[in-house]
Amino acid sequence: MSTIEISHLSKAYGKVQAVNDLSLQVPQGSVYGLLGPNGAGKTTVFKCMLGLAGFSGSVRYDGEPLVPATFERIAYVPERSVLYEWMTAAEHVEMNRRAFESFEPARAYELLAQFEIDPRKRCRALSKGMRTAVMVALAFARRAEVLILDEPTSGLDPINQRHVLSLIVNEAARGTSVIFSSHQIGQVERAAERIAVLEHGRLALEGLVDDLKADRKIVEGIFPDATSPLDGIVGDPRVARVDRAERIVRVLVLAGADDFATRLASAGASGVRILDLGLEDIFLYAVSPADATASLLPKAGS
Amino acid sequence: MPAVLTVDSRSGVPIYLQIIEQIKRSVALGVLQAGEQLPTVKQLALDLTVNPNTVARAYRDLERDSVIETAPGRGSFVRGDGAVDSARSAAADVARDALTVALREAKAVGLSRDEVRELIDVSLERWFPEER
Repeated sequence: MSTIEISHLSKAYGKVQAVNDLSLQVPQGSVYGLLGPNGAGKTTVFKCMLGLAGFSGSVRYDGEPLVPATFERIAYVPERSVLYEWMTAAEHVEMNRRAFESFEPARAYELLAQFEIDPRKRCRALSKGMRTAVMVALAFARRAEVLILDEPTSGLDPINQRHVLSLIVNEAARGTSVIFSSHQIGQVERAAERIAVLEHGRLALEGLVDDLKADRKIVEGIFPDATSPLDGIVGDPRVARVDRAERIVRVLVLAGADDFATRLASAGASGVRILDLGLEDIFLYAVSPADATASLLPKAGS
Repeated sequence: MPAVLTVDSRSGVPIYLQIIEQIKRSVALGVLQAGEQLPTVKQLALDLTVNPNTVARAYRDLERDSVIETAPGRGSFVRGDGAVDSARSAAADVARDALTVALREAKAVGLSRDEVRELIDVSLERWFPEER
């Protein structure tokens, strides 16, 4: 059983700072979602966690640094297929059986069957989604203590996407620590307990999904005119941004939505209401510059 | 356990609160009876495809609110004493909040006190015809 602890992780490729002073912890038995726009550094974080890339800072599993023996405890699904084109899925099962003591061939065949993959087919004959499924089957047959999954549902149909999520939940219930990335925010929202949002290699946001949703709200009000002062709102540390479109003011608050609703009303706003935010909105606000208001404004009201 | 428990993961309402609210409502409505066993944390997590820790958090809060009790090794059960009362009061809280939101909205769109009173009278007539 393992707790993953990443502290002050930095990694540069030449002049490009791919990961910049990243610290986060994945508690044992939890599912951690890593979100970020393309190129934010998610895959680099995973490579550092696996020792596949040199880095500064530290990655520890149960307090221990990564050593060759640690690999026996970690299973990894890479973003791109690493399957050998000329080999069958069954041959990959055999290869993994030889490589890892903890590998369970029967479990691998069971998972392949669940994904309806013929193990006798050569990988070159498999679609992108089926290759993903083969890699998921191989990783989950390891019964590892740590699962690192880079886009483990890419190319899969919705049924198999949901199946992968079930497998993740099942592993977490057994005590496995799971960290996964996905552009499908709805999946992360469902399966992950905690999330981190990366932007340009830096941590833009981190927390429990349920707490982020409970705390972060949009408070909206309509003011008598477009220049009404927003006393007691602008400048408060709990206000993350204020968007103004003519008389409509939308305030993104990090906490205390009820309090701000009252303040907006006292400042002269009518039609004050509090809007819930799904993880997709929370993510978009976290990675959007504060002045990019126009595109976000209509959405909050829909 | 009723199979009606669902979560809307895309909603802005935290998943653990959705679970709590539905279980309280089921107890208040008698769909879940005193002494009835709830699914295990793992089972419910798998049924809903949500994180086991999220379900565990909901169960902890339900225990704190005296709606369920957990016997180590045996599972979680709807409490025999007071579960219905606490679940009812929780369900009443939900209704009260909804009413507050509705009244605030009515004020926001400019309805007068008399107009709101008329709306409420019509609703009372419809839903509480026996209590005149």
